[in-house]
Amino acid sequence: MAFKSFFSDYQRLLLGMVSVIGVVLLWELVFTYVIPLNPFFFTKPSLIAAAFKEQLVSGTLWKDVAISSKAFLLGFSLAVIVGIPIGVFMGWRRRAEYTLDPFFTALYASPLVALAPLLIIIFGVGLTGKVALIFLLAVFPFIFNVFAGVKCTDRLLVNVVRSFGGREKDIYFKVILPSIMPYIVAGARIAIGRGIVGILVTEFYAASEGIGFAISRFGDTYRLPDMFAAIMVLMIMAVVLTEGLRKLETFLTPWKTGQEAR
Amino acid sequence: MNTLTNFYREREQAILGGGFILLLILIWQTVPALISLPRGIALFFTTPVEVIKSFYQLVVKNEIQSHVYVSAVEFIVGLGLAILVGLPLGLVMGRSKILDAMLDPFVTAFNATPRLVFLPLLILWMGIGIWSKIMIVFVGALFPLLINTYEGVKNVDRVLVNVVRSFGASEWQTMKVVVLPNSVPYIVVGLRLAIGRALLGVVVGEFFASSRGLGFMIAGAATNYKVDVVFVGVAIFMGLSLALTHLVKRLESRLSRWRPDEVKTY
Amino acid sequence: MVPCIEARSLNLTFTPKNRDPVTALQGFDLQVSKGEFLTLVGPSGCGKSTFLNGLLGLLKPDSGELSLNGKQINGPGQERAMVFQEFGLLPWRTVLANVELGLELKGVAPLIRHERARELIQLVGLESFQNHYPHELSGGMKQRVGLARALATEPEVLLMDEPFAALDAQTRDLMQTELLQIWERTKKTVLFVTHSIEEAAYLSDRVVIMTARPGRTKNVFKIDLPRPRDYEMRLTPEFNDIKATIWSSLKDELGTKAAGNGI
Repeated sequence: MAFKSFFSDYQRLLLGMVSVIGVVLLWELVFTYVIPLNPFFFTKPSLIAAAFKEQLVSGTLWKDVAISSKAFLLGFSLAVIVGIPIGVFMGWRRRAEYTLDPFFTALYASPLVALAPLLIIIFGVGLTGKVALIFLLAVFPFIFNVFAGVKCTDRLLVNVVRSFGGREKDIYFKVILPSIMPYIVAGARIAIGRGIVGILVTEFYAASEGIGFAISRFGDTYRLPDMFAAIMVLMIMAVVLTEGLRKLETFLTPWKTGQEAR
Repeated sequence: MNTLTNFYREREQAILGGGFILLLILIWQTVPALISLPRGIALFFTTPVEVIKSFYQLVVKNEIQSHVYVSAVEFIVGLGLAILVGLPLGLVMGRSKILDAMLDPFVTAFNATPRLVFLPLLILWMGIGIWSKIMIVFVGALFPLLINTYEGVKNVDRVLVNVVRSFGASEWQTMKVVVLPNSVPYIVVGLRLAIGRALLGVVVGEFFASSRGLGFMIAGAATNYKVDVVFVGVAIFMGLSLALTHLVKRLESRLSRWRPDEVKTY
Repeated sequence: MVPCIEARSLNLTFTPKNRDPVTALQGFDLQVSKGEFLTLVGPSGCGKSTFLNGLLGLLKPDSGELSLNGKQINGPGQERAMVFQEFGLLPWRTVLANVELGLELKGVAPLIRHERARELIQLVGLESFQNHYPHELSGGMKQRVGLARALATEPEVLLMDEPFAALDAQTRDLMQTELLQIWERTKKTVLFVTHSIEEAAYLSDRVVIMTARPGRTKNVFKIDLPRPRDYEMRLTPEFNDIKATIWSSLKDELGTKAAGNGI
């Protein structure tokens, strides 16, 4: 395959949009005219749109989103507040790294969601359990990304600040913190995904409100268009957050930080 | 005395890290002996020793083996499918700019969303048999593999491709000689991430839609306040995850030796 | 008369991570007069950069004296500033903000330090770049920012650790001439470290040859060329003689085992 030209960003976007519109149209047409639609099994875009509009108008959508978002924001903020200092501590003091790294690595690598039923039994079905799980899931990307960022800090810059009379606090605020900003954002991007998992797991398992609960409830009652609509709302939110952060990352990194695996 | 300090200096990393973990376990074990827990907390409390005893019981009574088997099947089949689909698709997407542009919105959307959100749908479609779990594992593991393979292919040095082309290589040969070897480190990173997601899929899938498997065991034990059994399950998953991740990391470093900069791994 | 900088029987050992300690300087003696341009030349690993870091206050000597104007050096201070080989500019700050760094750390008020920084940016010829980021600048430009930053705090002594080593040959020649011009204007005491004999001879009043590690002063040569110096002087036979003299002293140090184990 020889390419005569490389696609510009604009052309990529166009092709992508064409592709999406094409799929939606195809989906609608196939299930309207070609394959009979079994409402207990599948649905089509027009029905999804109608369900979405209804949820929007009746306010149920906002309510569910608000409830899930509240728990998410609380858990996420806690993860930021706790995770970043720990990451800095581990990155800056080698003894701290030696002591804490194996333990945290073990926790990060484990499916901590396995603790979800336990947390729910202990804390009940309300906000606390959700926030606890979201915190546990979201804190580690911050810890490890900040840790990597601090270790990557150019030691020369630390010496430069020292040589001009900078003290410990100057080093933290004028060198380390700016250096790790891109890493914090990268960690945030990963933490968002993990946090959403926390919401979904708790709301699927034992909840009476929230968007995860809505999705599973719609499933139980075979309300497929509503279910698809709710899933898409979640998808849109996740994409907006994640891609927004990705743009922020490139904006904050005119200097290279290396290849990243998603 | 000097030999002791030398011994410490050489193994400082292992001593501090391992020591910390041992300390935590020790504290955990001795807490109930030191302070009397209020009734509410005592209900949820267990100790490492009890967890080990539970594990032993479960093995002896042959209760745990079938759970492990079911979970293992779900994991292996789901991950296997993800590799079979993800790798070729990633390769093709990386080489075909048109396909890449057309699939990109879907891949971005599905990658940003935790695949867990599709679990109720999969349960609707496939019930609570083994296939709904396999599917959630598949969908979870697919994207890291797909995306990392794709990135690996995209990042191949254009100069090298041209060099091989100038010797008259076909697309297939180019793939084999340049693209694939270059992509291997990326693919291995994708594999490591995929394993994590696959385990996640097993755990959560079994919470909600199962009558068998380790996740089901955990959920059931939690409801019955058998916290020690819960931790047996959690510990098994932790151990598996660590072992698999460690293996893949070793593979990763072996295969990445020629690369000058590190592929970021979080 | 008290020399500006004085080192007497200086011993300095440092221990890199997870390795055995290295004796960088042993019995090192040096005197630098005020306003002088002195260059240290020596084989790799002979301790010249280490000495500079000691003067800067980032490394502490094990024994011996290291003083500035008669007072012992105990840490970084406003009278000394360094220009680094790898530039050391904060990538997230503009040129202006980088030049201001020293003043900012000293607590100088924003308006005053902006003014001062602008003056120096003008001195090094980068006025139209003051809001650019380091990654948008060439190597030579980055080093000019480094120089402006070092001069901003009005130090007495300018320490320069192979500042032009990372630049291409043409830029290097240009920067050398510019440095001399700025030095004539500002009259600082300059302690310069380099591997290049040519550079040492061209720039300095005196050149000090150091032994291989552990470093000591081996020879001191006075450069008797008139000032201001220009590029043409480098093409004269006198200059070649000077280079030959320096080389004859230096080459013995390059052949030794310690030189071979340089950093």
